[in-house]
Formats: sequence, structure tokens, C-alpha cells
Amino acid sequence: METRQFEVAGRRARRKDGIAKVTGREIYSSDVYLPGMMHAVVLRSPHPHAEIVDVDVSEAERMGAVCLTPFDVPDTVYNERTVSIPEKTYRDRTVLPKKVRHVGEAVLAVAHDTEELAMLALSKVKVQYKELPSALDVKDAMVEARGARLYDTVFLGGECIQVKNNIACERSIAVGDVEDGFRQADITVESEFEAQRMYHAQMETKAAVCAPEPDGGITVWTTTQTIHNVRQLLGQIFSLPLHKVNVKRIALGGAFGSSIQMNSITPICVGLALRAKRPVKLVTSREEDMYDHVKYPVRFWLKFGAKKDGRLVAAHMKALVDIGAHNIQAYPLLGCIAGWFASLYKFQNLLFEGRAVYTNKVPACAMQGYGNPQTNFAVESLMDMLAEELGIDPIQLRLMNYVGVGDEFWGQGPTVRSIIKSCGVEEMLSRGAAMIGWDRRVHPSQKSGDVVRGIGVARGFHTSGTGGPKPGEVIDYSSATIKVNEDGSVDLITPVMDQGGGTWEAAAKVVAEVLKVPLDMVGISPSDTRTTGYDVCTHATRGVYCGVGAVHHVAEQVRQKILEFAARILEQNPRDLSLARNEEIGQAVIYPTGLPDRYITLGEVAKTAQIKSWGTIAATDSYRQKNCPPCFVTHFVEVEVEKRTGRVRIVRAALLGDCGTPINPDMVKGQLIGGLCRGLAFALLEETAYDSNTGRLVCGGYLTDYKLPTACEMPAIDDIMVGFANTYEPSGPLGAKGIGEAALNSAASAIVNAIYNATGIRFKKLPVTPERVLEALREGVAR
Amino acid sequence: MTETSITLTLNGKKKTLRVRPNELLLNVLRDRLFLTGAKYGCGIGECGACTVLIDGRPALACLTLAVAIDGKEVVTVEGLARGDELDPLQEAFLDHGAVQCGFCTPGMIMTARSLLDENPSPSEEEVREYIRGNICRCTGYTSIVSAILSCAQEKEGA
Amino acid sequence: MNAQNQTNTRLLLPEFEYLRPETKAEALHFLDQHRDKNVHILAGGTDLIVKMKTGALSPRYLVNVKDIKELSGVRQINGALHIGAVTTLAALLRLPAIRSGYSALYEALRSMAAPAVRNMATVGGNLCNGSPAADTAPALMVLGTVCTLSSVAGERRLKLCDFFLGPGRTALLPGEMLTELLVDGVRPDSGSSFLKIGRVSADIAKVNIAVYLERDGDRVADCRVAVGSVAPTPLLLDSVVSFLKGSTMSRQVLSEAGRMVEDAIAPITDARSTAEYRKAISRILAEEAMQAAWVRSGGEVPR
Repeated sequence: METRQFEVAGRRARRKDGIAKVTGREIYSSDVYLPGMMHAVVLRSPHPHAEIVDVDVSEAERMGAVCLTPFDVPDTVYNERTVSIPEKTYRDRTVLPKKVRHVGEAVLAVAHDTEELAMLALSKVKVQYKELPSALDVKDAMVEARGARLYDTVFLGGECIQVKNNIACERSIAVGDVEDGFRQADITVESEFEAQRMYHAQMETKAAVCAPEPDGGITVWTTTQTIHNVRQLLGQIFSLPLHKVNVKRIALGGAFGSSIQMNSITPICVGLALRAKRPVKLVTSREEDMYDHVKYPVRFWLKFGAKKDGRLVAAHMKALVDIGAHNIQAYPLLGCIAGWFASLYKFQNLLFEGRAVYTNKVPACAMQGYGNPQTNFAVESLMDMLAEELGIDPIQLRLMNYVGVGDEFWGQGPTVRSIIKSCGVEEMLSRGAAMIGWDRRVHPSQKSGDVVRGIGVARGFHTSGTGGPKPGEVIDYSSATIKVNEDGSVDLITPVMDQGGGTWEAAAKVVAEVLKVPLDMVGISPSDTRTTGYDVCTHATRGVYCGVGAVHHVAEQVRQKILEFAARILEQNPRDLSLARNEEIGQAVIYPTGLPDRYITLGEVAKTAQIKSWGTIAATDSYRQKNCPPCFVTHFVEVEVEKRTGRVRIVRAALLGDCGTPINPDMVKGQLIGGLCRGLAFALLEETAYDSNTGRLVCGGYLTDYKLPTACEMPAIDDIMVGFANTYEPSGPLGAKGIGEAALNSAASAIVNAIYNATGIRFKKLPVTPERVLEALREGVAR
Repeated sequence: MTETSITLTLNGKKKTLRVRPNELLLNVLRDRLFLTGAKYGCGIGECGACTVLIDGRPALACLTLAVAIDGKEVVTVEGLARGDELDPLQEAFLDHGAVQCGFCTPGMIMTARSLLDENPSPSEEEVREYIRGNICRCTGYTSIVSAILSCAQEKEGA
Repeated sequence: MNAQNQTNTRLLLPEFEYLRPETKAEALHFLDQHRDKNVHILAGGTDLIVKMKTGALSPRYLVNVKDIKELSGVRQINGALHIGAVTTLAALLRLPAIRSGYSALYEALRSMAAPAVRNMATVGGNLCNGSPAADTAPALMVLGTVCTLSSVAGERRLKLCDFFLGPGRTALLPGEMLTELLVDGVRPDSGSSFLKIGRVSADIAKVNIAVYLERDGDRVADCRVAVGSVAPTPLLLDSVVSFLKGSTMSRQVLSEAGRMVEDAIAPITDARSTAEYRKAISRILAEEAMQAAWVRSGGEVPR
């Protein structure tokens, strides 16, 4: 396998935005203050389903408030997520819908000089609702006779389509002949699995600030993973030419997928600012945020067929997704679930049948893994069940069947596929087994006592981006500008958002690596939609592979220009020059190959180019990755179960990641451990439960009753072992793939498999709370 | 409601302000003094993002009435560095990769500062217990705990 | 959520007058003066401000007692602890006397919230909030705590176990304020313990339990058992006490007492846990807490 030594990439360094973040000086959307700024608040529906018959904002307006109601927003029907091609994008919403479809949906908004005054004005608003029958349970929702009908019609691309039985969309995907596959099988296993509604709980609640500009345009600072898609949507909704819509790139206090789509409050804030002709700031409260987005909950039915020797021959999956009140991205999600399923093992024959259903609950959207952790939970649980039936070691069964080098990988559903070129699956399974002590693992029947331990394994992956040799249903490319300043320092201008994972840092390191400049001579420039080319979104674990891939592509062009200008000065052919890093003088240097003493510095080259009016050494370009290489992960987890209280604790974990070259090793490690923490939350703790009468969240939107893992729930420092697979992705920047979402994808599966190994009870419904454990231990089986 | 004049020491400097009784310290710091290091995360004392030091001990600015800090000393994350010299904890957070999105970082650092002031050589378990009111959704805490422990003094005799 | 009661935890919306008495007498005077006008005491604020933000309370007057020196701090008189009601949880936790002599209270304090909250929150506030899940309540109840309730008319004393009337309701009359807690001195051959299970480490209890035991050789000479979060108020379980008193300690006795705790309670299912789970773990916690208290009293680990 190809490996390379790098001077900057792969080495630890302080992240460039670190100083601002540790001193409290980093500016997030909610930290933006503008002269004359108004503050906005949103009135939210108390009903799960109701028509808005009338609104009366006259008293609020008399108090000096500026109001925005469903009756005075543009009627553009849009989808807030625009990373798929338009003809595969369902559209069902407006800025402020005239019919509310979940408790907490925005009804209208009010801006005033202060947030207190805005709240006071809001309390004077009168809304007349006509309540409608609601569907809170996904199975009830499919029976239209029960009365709830969320939509009559929605748009798919340009076409208006009927919605029947609240089914938002369906997808059926087949490979080979699944019936024939099951006929060949010596053994079949099948089961249902259920993954819950879980809240992203990113630390920063959704926020937007909009300044109307004198030319009729707008400048927007908002929590988003994609400045360009927000810009295009705002332009479309408010009929503004794009050169008058500027969305600023700004630090983001976490997202985990909840800002792949334009946040619901962003156009509301813009609408208010345009109406008020003053800057407006809108920051949601935590309780509003919890009513705004949630992870896709999925119910699975899954069946495998295998030969006696463990070779898989058939698999059939049915997935039912409760998408809540809006179809943000259910169609691509179903495709992706099929892909996450199809790409884990060589099933040979498979059938996927997916259905997404509207309910009167918080709209679901991507959350780290985009259906992958849910799918992985079902597949990796059933793999363990199959291994036990066959009497084969779970690791062995995985090694026999995994999808690896030379196989096709579905990076974003059935239309985005590429051939795998780098794969650390075998290495990670064997190293991880040694790290956790797999040979100590014994069958649950051999355990006794009130406190039992168990070891579980699960493997997973995520895509790196959504590119493929053939363009599919998902848009994927990025852009970058790099320029060399007159002292040899470098400005990097990228549209890519960094939600905290260190994408910008990786970009700076790649520039430093290619241009041989010291890392501290690379500056990450503030940027916005006006000064950058398009980037689709920091989603699909594409930041490093695709976003930084574009940076790498442009850096190579800049490198050529450096050599051309240096060649003029040194009176040499550019081919005969070497570019190298000189840490002593803190510069990149250029010299005739073989004569390092005859160097000139990059600063001298750039300054000469300026004085002689040759021009700036710079390049701008766009770049599309034509692969979607999987970043593989493997989780080994040891749990301890207190049988008397049902409590489960993770005592040890071995986390292995295959991200190709780890450009930021610290950050890769941080992603893997962070993934374990959110995997713990998904497996054991978190769920947004609903009151079936009122349609409200049982926790009310307050963190008091939506508990997140604290430092005490995680294993000790020495009990978390992290390893990177020794791989090199030939299509990636400096051999890198992604890691972000992969870091989570098999975490919960490994935890649940470990609980089985401890207790002999197979949990098929998440989260595995102490209440459920105790009940199952008493009854001998999990419900 | 009656406005009241309060005087406090904020990051080492005396400050006099007029506040309404229902103004929260967090909003005074952010909206009026533009010290935006302390963050709103939950508003009800569950996440720790708004942690500041009042009279040297950690407190939640989202649950503190500004009027009630009259005469007290408040330190925010902006007041932690001495001139250009970062607090050792700030350095350690940078060196241990303890910062991802950074939204919890100011509150986390203020809590950690208070821990080390109270107990200069905490064990790992003591660190974890002390920061359990500060939620970080990104890191899984390991890098944060490591950063804090790296600032701890060796226990005598250890 | 509607226009009238939608919350916004970014702000404190209720409007009120703020009063900051310098002395206890002045505080009592304010309470008396505004007794019919929705007056509330502000101490740590960690419960009160949350209730005001989430719409549960809208006081017209807030009397901030946090900085009144005579209401704060702990004095040891003739062995007994006199705990000022506005002593913070953190201050109590730092007190060596509590760590060494009052294990149940120490463990309750340690289990509560996080350091920032403990620095703000006061022991009186934790009790006066009237939560059935208040962690200091069962601990102080089994330690035989007596409350001093003060008003302009004078003082009265009340056992803490008689203080709680229902969720958010206490025995405090209009114009009255909890000013001091009196906890007996540590007796020889006694021990106490507190245990709790929450969802995460810093959480409100699904169930909490406190036990106090006095030992006479291998027999239980006296004891008290209190459980929280399983009823409208923290409960002192007399049935368990009458069973344990005089018993010779053994595994069987512990197990029987645990079963009695489970039988004595009728908890509800709520956002934090289920009734079934609460019953099941109350028994486990009771057994463990009783054993810990017994061992602390000098007894041997029962077999």
C-alpha cells in the first residue's frame, strides 16, 4: 500500500482558530452585533396540526414592533436542503406556512429594539387556529381514514404531486435476485430493529443576523453548513439577484447535520430585516431549537441468508422512517440507507424497500451519519445474531463478507458509486481485537453475578463526499482561492464551513505541505459567498476529501506559478527548480535542483513579481472529486451491566479509524472519541419522547429532561484506545479520506453487541435505558 | 420596575452600570458590554456554557441577576489571560486538541480554572466530576480532561 | 406554547421589584410588608430563576437574602450543627465536620448538580423549592433535622419531615422564611448514608434514599429511612423503621427491609423514569444504603 511521509500533514499542531476560541473572542452568529440592530422572536404553534385562520398583530405593531406573518411572506415553495439535484428534491414548505404541522412550528415573528420588547409585543399577538386531526404515530399516519392529512400535494422538482396516506416518498432498490438468494441459503436470520428520535443538541442554538444593504441587497450571518446554498435559497425566496445576497462564513457552534439545510429561522430573519429596513438578529432559545430538528427515527425489518460456511447470499431490508412535518431530505435518505446497507457486506442478492411518512412531529433531518448509525445498528446486530447461529466468531464472519478494495461502494445511495481503492478493515479488526482483549471474551451463559461485563464489536464506514465517476442525484464540488503575499505568506480563501472538526486546519496544512511554507505562514481568510466559488455543503464527511481536495488542486496550480516566476528570476527552466521548506528562515525557498545554497525565498519571488509588475501569484478554481471512498471504522467496546439496576457503563473502548492520511491526527482522534460519546447517547440515553395527547415534547424542550452525556459517563482516558489504519487514499488530498460521520456509525452497534455479550439479551430498540434493561432481565427478553 | 445602579469589578476593572431587576448577568455581559465569551446554551443551568467566576468561584450567568452582583468581582474568559500571556489552561486546551466547535470552551475553561484554584492536583475522576455541568457535544471530553490534568501540579510525594 | 405563555429561556421576562435587605430582621420585614403581594425569596436562584423563565412563577417582589451574613454559615454548638439557610451547597461540602460526621448529607451534596450550581444554590433553597426529588431532603430528614421558621412575629421550630406538604408546597406561612437548620450532634455508634440514581451523573434523582442507623452491638438500636422522588413529598418510611429497630443485622434483615421500602412506595411514571423501575431500584438502593450506614456505625458487613 502506498504511504508517504509529510512535513506538515499528519503532524500535531495548534489549530488556527484555537486562540480565538480559548479566549472567548471567536465570533459565532449569535455574537454578531450591528448598529441599529433589532431583535426578533418567533411565535410557535401550540398545536400539532392546525390551520392559521387569522392573525392580528395590530397591537404589537402599535407597540413599535415589526411583524412578519404567513400572509406577508413570499409564497415560494421550497426545500431548505438543496444538495440534491432539483428534479430529485421534494418541496413542501414556505417561509411561514399557513398551516402548522407540528407543535413548535413557526407561526409568525416579531422584531423590536430589544428581545424583551419583542417578547412583550409577541404576547399581544392574536392567532386564530382551526385545529386539525393530527398523526403522531407513524403507523397511524399511514391510515388516512384516521383523519390526519398533512399535505394534499407537494412538489417534486417542477411537478406537483399528490400525497397519499401521508407517505412522503418510497424507494425500492434491488441487486441480483433476493428470492433466489434466500433459496440458496442454508440458514436465515431475521429481526425488527428500531432507532429512536434523538436531538442533535449542538451547543449553539440556531441563529441569524441579517443586515439590509443600501442597494437593496442583504448580508447574512447564520448557523449553516453551507453558505452558498443559503445564499441561493434566499435569493430565490426573496427574488434578489445573487450578487446582492451575501452570506458570511462564520464559526459554527456544532451542527451534526442540523444545518445542512437552511435553518427555518434564517429566511424569517431576512424577511423581518427587509420589512424593517434595519438589521435584525434572531437567536432561538434551546426549547425552540429542540422543536426545530431531530435525527431520523427508523424502524427496520431485516433478514439475512447465508451458507453454512458463513458466506452471505441474500439480504432483505424494509425501512420505515417517521420524518415528521416536513420532507427535508427523505428521498435521498432512503437511497443512502440502501447504500449503507448494501455496502457493509457482499450480500450478493439484496432488496431494499424504504418508506418515509409524514407525522405531526418535529421535522427530521440528517444527523451525523445520515441514516448510517441506524442502519448499522440493524445490520451489525443481525450479523452478530447470524454469527451465533452459525457458530462462527463475529470477527471471522465480518472478515469473510466485508466490502473492500476493488468492490463497489455506494457513497450516497444507488446513484453515487465508486470502486474502493483503500481499505483498513482487516487491519482494524485484528488490531482492535488485540487492543480490547477479544480472546478474553466468553459466551454470556458463562457469566454470573450481579455485575457482568461483555465485549462487542461492530464495524462501519461513511462515505467521503458524494462524488462519483458519473454525476448522480447529489451535487458535489468545491472551490478555492490561494494567493501568495509579497512576504511569502499565503492567504487561503475557501467557502467550506467548519463545524468544529478542523476542516479549515486541514486545508491550511495541505497548502503548507504543497507550497512548502511553514504552517504559521498560511492564513485562513474570512470569506463569504461574494468572494468564493461554490461549495455544496460541509456534509457527507466531505470537508477534507472534497473541500480540501479543491484546495489541494488549486495549491498545485499556485505551485506551478511560483516555479514559473522563480525561473524568471533564477534564469532557469521551471522544471529544473526545487521548492522546499526552510524552517530556519521561516519561508519556502526555491533553488536550482541540486544547488540548495543558491536559493531565493518565496517572499523574494512574490515581491519581485510585484515590483516588476508580473502580477500576484494566485489561483482560483473549482474541483470535483470523482470518487466517494469509504472511511472505515471499527468499534470494540467493553460494557459493564449492573443487573440489579439495569445500568450500563462503557468501561473500555478501542476505536479504530481508516481516514487515509490523518492530516490532523489530534482532530481525527477527537472525532473518534466524540463519536463514541454521541454513540453512547444514541445507544443508552437520549430520545425525544412525545406526549401522545398534546403532540408536545415530554421534556418541553428543556435540557432538564433531555439529558446529554457528561464527562462522567465516558470511560477514563487510559481506557479509550485509538488507532489509525495505515492506509493511503490515492484519490484524496495527500492520501486523505474523511472520518467525521464514520466516527459515530458503528459505536452504538458495538455497545449493543457488548450488552448482548454481557447479558445474553439482544436489544433491538434504542435507547437501551436502565428501565428497559431491568425489564428485559426480568422477562428474559427485550421487548 | 426600578432601575438600580450597581458597581462591580469586571475582569479587574471597576464598572458601574444601571440595570433593571430582571436583567440577567449573561445578557448584560453580552448585549451591553459585548463580552461574548460566555454563551447562551440552555438558559436553565443545564449546560455550563455561560460559566463565569463570581468572587473567584464558578457561577452560571444565565441564572444570575445582574442586580445581585453589586459589589462583587466577576471574571469572564476574556479576563483570564494576563495581557498577551494566555492562562496555562488556555495553552493546554490548544495543545491537547481540546477545542472543536469551541462553543463550550469558554465555560469549560472557567470551570477548570476554578477547579485548579480549589484543588491544584486533582485526579482524573475529580476533574470529570468537576466539569460534569459543562456539556461538550463534540469532543467526548477526553482531550478536555487531558488538557486540565496537564495543568495540575504533581501531588506532593507522588 | 402560545402567545400568552411561550417561554424564552434566553431572557427573564417577569417584571418584579428587587429588594436587598442587609439583615435578617429587614428581610423578615420585607416579607411581612409584601406578604399578600406574591413575594418570593431569592437565594441561589438556581430553582427560582428557572421557574420564572419557564413560566411556573411570576413574583412581584424578590427579596434577595443571599448576602445576609447571619443567615449563612455553619456553627457547631454543643456538638449540634446550626446551618444557616442560605449556606451554599458548596460551602457545606467543604466543611470537614459534614464530611466526617454526616455521611448522608455529604453524599447527597456531592451527588447534586455541578460545582457552579452548588456554588450558587443554598441548602434552604433546595428545601423550600419543595421538590419531591430534593437531594438534601431525605439526608437531612434522617439526620433528624429541625427547621427554624422565622417571621416578624417570631420563630417556630418544625421537624423537617413535617415541612413538605406537596410538590412545590411547604409548611412556610405567608411572611415566613426558613432561617436555620438544626442537626443533632453525631452520636457514638451511628452512621448514615445517601444513595441516588439519576440518568447521568449530574441529575435530578429517579430515586434517592437516605438512611441513619444507631447500633447496639449487632442490633439496630434506632434508625430512620427516607426516600425521595417516589411520592408528592420526600417520605420518611416508618414501617421500615419499626421493622429494623431492635433487629439483629443480617443479610436477610437488609433484604426484608429493602422489600418493605419497595412495598411502601407508589411512585409515578414521568419524564425521568417509570413507576416499575423506581420501585425496583428503591429496594436495591435501600439495601445498599442501609448496609453502608450500618458499616459506618461500626457494624460488620452483614452476611
